[in-house]
Amino acid sequence: MVDALHELSAVELGRRLASGALTSRALCEALIARHRTLNDKVGAFTHLDEADVLAQADASDARRKAGRGRGPLEGIPVGIKDNVAVKGQPLTCSSKMLAPLVSPYDSHVAERLRASGAILYGRLNMDEFAMGSSTENSAFRKAFNPWDLGRIPGGSSGGSAAALAAGLVPLALGSDTGGSIRQPASHCGVVGLKPTYGLISRFGLVAFASSLDQIGPMARSVEDCALLLDALASADARDMTCFGPSDRAFTPAGDARKLRIGVPKGFLGKGVAPEVAAAVNAAVEFYRSQGCAVSEVELPSADLAVPTYYVVATAEASSNLGRYDGVRYGHRSAVSGTPVEMMTASRSEGFGPEVKRRILLGTFVLSAGYADAYYVRALRARAKIRAEYLAALSGVDVLLTPTVPTPAFKVGEKAADPLQLYLEDVFTIPANLAGLPAISVPCGKSGRLPVGFHLVGAPLSESKLLAAGRLFEDAHGYAHQQAPL
Amino acid sequence: MAEGFDIDHLAKLARLSLTAEEKALFASQLGQILGHFQTLAQADLPASADDARVVDESALRSDEPGPVLGAEAVTRIAPASRDGQISVPRVVDDES
Amino acid sequence: MSQAPSDWEVVIGLEVHVQLRTRAKVFASSPWGFGQEPNAQVDPVVLGLPGTLPVVNREAVEKAVLFGLVVGAEIPERCAWDRKNYFYPDNPKNYQLTQKDFPVVVGGHVEIELPGPSRNVMGEHKSVRIHHAHLEEDVGKLSHAGGGSLVDYNRAGVPLLEIVTEPDLRSAAEAEAFLRSLVAMLTQAGVADCDMEKGQLRCDCNVSVRRRGDARLGTRTETKNLNSISSVRDTVIYEAARQIRELEAGRTITQETRGWNAELARGYVLRDKEDAHDYRYFPDPDIPALRISRETVARLAKQVPENLYDRQRRYVEKLGLPYTAASVLVADRALAEWFEAAVAAHPANPSGVANLVANDLLRDLSAAVPPIPLSACPIRPASLAGLVKLTDEGVISKQQAKEVFAEMFSTGQEAVAIVDAKGLRQNSDTGELEKIIREVVADPSVAKSIAEYRAGNEKAINALKGPIMKRTQGKANPGLVDQLLRRILG
Repeated sequence: MVDALHELSAVELGRRLASGALTSRALCEALIARHRTLNDKVGAFTHLDEADVLAQADASDARRKAGRGRGPLEGIPVGIKDNVAVKGQPLTCSSKMLAPLVSPYDSHVAERLRASGAILYGRLNMDEFAMGSSTENSAFRKAFNPWDLGRIPGGSSGGSAAALAAGLVPLALGSDTGGSIRQPASHCGVVGLKPTYGLISRFGLVAFASSLDQIGPMARSVEDCALLLDALASADARDMTCFGPSDRAFTPAGDARKLRIGVPKGFLGKGVAPEVAAAVNAAVEFYRSQGCAVSEVELPSADLAVPTYYVVATAEASSNLGRYDGVRYGHRSAVSGTPVEMMTASRSEGFGPEVKRRILLGTFVLSAGYADAYYVRALRARAKIRAEYLAALSGVDVLLTPTVPTPAFKVGEKAADPLQLYLEDVFTIPANLAGLPAISVPCGKSGRLPVGFHLVGAPLSESKLLAAGRLFEDAHGYAHQQAPL
Repeated sequence: MAEGFDIDHLAKLARLSLTAEEKALFASQLGQILGHFQTLAQADLPASADDARVVDESALRSDEPGPVLGAEAVTRIAPASRDGQISVPRVVDDES
Repeated sequence: MSQAPSDWEVVIGLEVHVQLRTRAKVFASSPWGFGQEPNAQVDPVVLGLPGTLPVVNREAVEKAVLFGLVVGAEIPERCAWDRKNYFYPDNPKNYQLTQKDFPVVVGGHVEIELPGPSRNVMGEHKSVRIHHAHLEEDVGKLSHAGGGSLVDYNRAGVPLLEIVTEPDLRSAAEAEAFLRSLVAMLTQAGVADCDMEKGQLRCDCNVSVRRRGDARLGTRTETKNLNSISSVRDTVIYEAARQIRELEAGRTITQETRGWNAELARGYVLRDKEDAHDYRYFPDPDIPALRISRETVARLAKQVPENLYDRQRRYVEKLGLPYTAASVLVADRALAEWFEAAVAAHPANPSGVANLVANDLLRDLSAAVPPIPLSACPIRPASLAGLVKLTDEGVISKQQAKEVFAEMFSTGQEAVAIVDAKGLRQNSDTGELEKIIREVVADPSVAKSIAEYRAGNEKAINALKGPIMKRTQGKANPGLVDQLLRRILG
């Protein structure tokens, strides 16, 4: 058969590997060849250790041959966002600050993937320290949207989304603090899920905002996404905020036609581009046509979400990034003098402008005299937002909105206006603030550019989100779509 | 600009040195962002954050010593080291 | 001077940092302990590598709770951790995990004993209030070499209990007494080893002065990182004198952070670590608040030993011990329990037992080369009690008891066995003794002494005792000899 291996779903790859029709080695060689042709154009990966990948592939094939295959992910490559620790691989977070760092330890998810037999495949490009919505803040190289190489793929998991859309890898890990999995998934026409906060261990995820960050699966279909989620979700005593599912399997479950859909009032007016509104409305109509009850819900504190997020996230980030000072690891400036001078120079040389902006903002909102007016108030606002979402989700199963108000913009178009970019996170941010699971699923195009819709569910309702996504996907042609490159 | 936003002071607290251009640019951008935060200042909010996350003692770790990196690994990652310790510029605690 | 001039009052509060007795660190599982190669006790969490997270050590929490119970404090239902943000090379994350708003221990008090007018007289007792105690992590160790500095992170992440007193102390002597009492309570409960030479206990000392009678507190200074009781005492004296001098000269006290140079015996201002600190405290988002169950508190309450001063009072009032012996015995819990086991075997003479334990036993244990710890004592409590019993019953004299004790210590044998083997049993046979005494009395060589004694010279009787003891090969019971002799002489 002459199927392009890069076009196959992870589920299908799993079948072929299991039947012996395909080896992991052959699969990885094909992907590496495609990487060599396309990665420079797309900028999805900042690093790919080809020898290491092939060694893992050979080990996988050997295991399978010996009857010790570890499950549905055995031998399947998973791209890893460069803020997720893999022992022996770079852990740069696309920042000059960590350019020299090779991680001496494995994250929990890396351990889980190894245990599942998956191939840990390369380091995916991102906005520096996960701060950004376009991957333009990568210190090493830009990433581009495979659907239009003059446009951004989204961020901060832009490399992950671009790699999937370009067929460079069948599965990828992203991380999501305010939308960093879902927004690039929407821009690149793939599926991205942010799990319930605490479902997937953050041990080994370089912290941006500790109470908001989650690792999540990204793939070209809902089914593939579920496959990856299942491998990642497990209890981990090394993360006190992780409760793990213990015994839950994450597959699309239940009859999605019985789901009650809530559409927040006024959300389609918030600066949403007409094509996006049209595609999302069509999705709503689709669910209605399937028998789902659709109703309008009130989320009166929606306007508070963006400021609340930016206060909380930058506050936590300013503290989390304090450890990067050139003393113990990472970039150290040649400027010495006193330790203060050395640390200041190292940080100033190592961090890009967006990171500096957020550190300054976060330092301000925590500083003496201002913490009450900003940080403490933001925590209270967060509680209010969370309460409103939980109340809304007691009457419906999922809330449906666009993922992003507009499709992917041109590279450089929004570089000068950070506030503009922040405001575009309006649909994705609340799920992080409330700790709720959320998914972006492709639902149409604006010209060539993918458009996604966004579902949020109650805590631990990933199965419902996946079921709803699967129902939509099965009736439309967006699963496994790849950009024509 | 939001009252009290002193970029020099904040840069010092955060151990960042900014060029004049950066200061001007950031001050302006952050001023806009903080202006947007006014909705937060004016909102009607519940009295407390009431964080529901509380764990009991089963979440605590038992007192079993675990693996270490080893001095060799620590100094290998470090930008500068001497005799197993990480070296930094001279720290001064003043004697007056 | 060690006392402030009478129109001034010194007010002292202490913040004592104690390394808790655990095997692993407080938020990381790396082991810790003194004297290891640099950076040998460091794991990714301790080093603050990107992506690492804290997990709280249960033993550290329980030791903190135990301390709270020892001082009669409240253990709130919930406690939580905060980040204290500041940059320093010994601080791996450039924030320290500590407890600002919801500490594990609230309130409590420590009873202290001041030195008395003489060694044998108990000094005044006083109660010092604890404000709170919180659980935090220690930082790495900086050393200076040539033109640079070196950092060893072995100490980073070690569990620290910071114990904060109310400003209840009023002199260097009180500060010293407080620390001694605190160390005794911590070690006796097994909470901490408090070996100050290993840096396991450090103290920050807040001192202010005010005119006697003034209700307001004066401006205080904080002298940090004192690592011996004597340096705390010296700091209090120095700083009180300095502040009084300043105020009497019409100047004001600056609230500042200071250090103490033990070599030069003076304090100095610490340069503000690069501008006034704004620690930007906020609740640590990686550690949820912790609920401490009342069952755990009840379980730990059973581990609280008898307070050393309660024990001391019991020894003096109920067992009739002299203060000095009681004081020595209660200073070490194992010693006190050893003593009590001995008393249990021979309850009739606690003072006698105490005397042997507090003097002879301790002396011989420490004089051995190398010194023998109590846990390896060659004598068992019941055996020592047996020796005292033999003496009390008159089987052997006090003099002989010393000899027997020495033999017990070096051989581990029982007292009775040694007495019999050496044939030391005193002659307490009244009839035989009386016969010998009459014979000696009848001897003309002692006639003069007898006459002197009957004339009123008490000491003259001693001249007869020598020959009597000789006739009995030293085995006569001296008390009985004296009694019979006096009766016979009339």
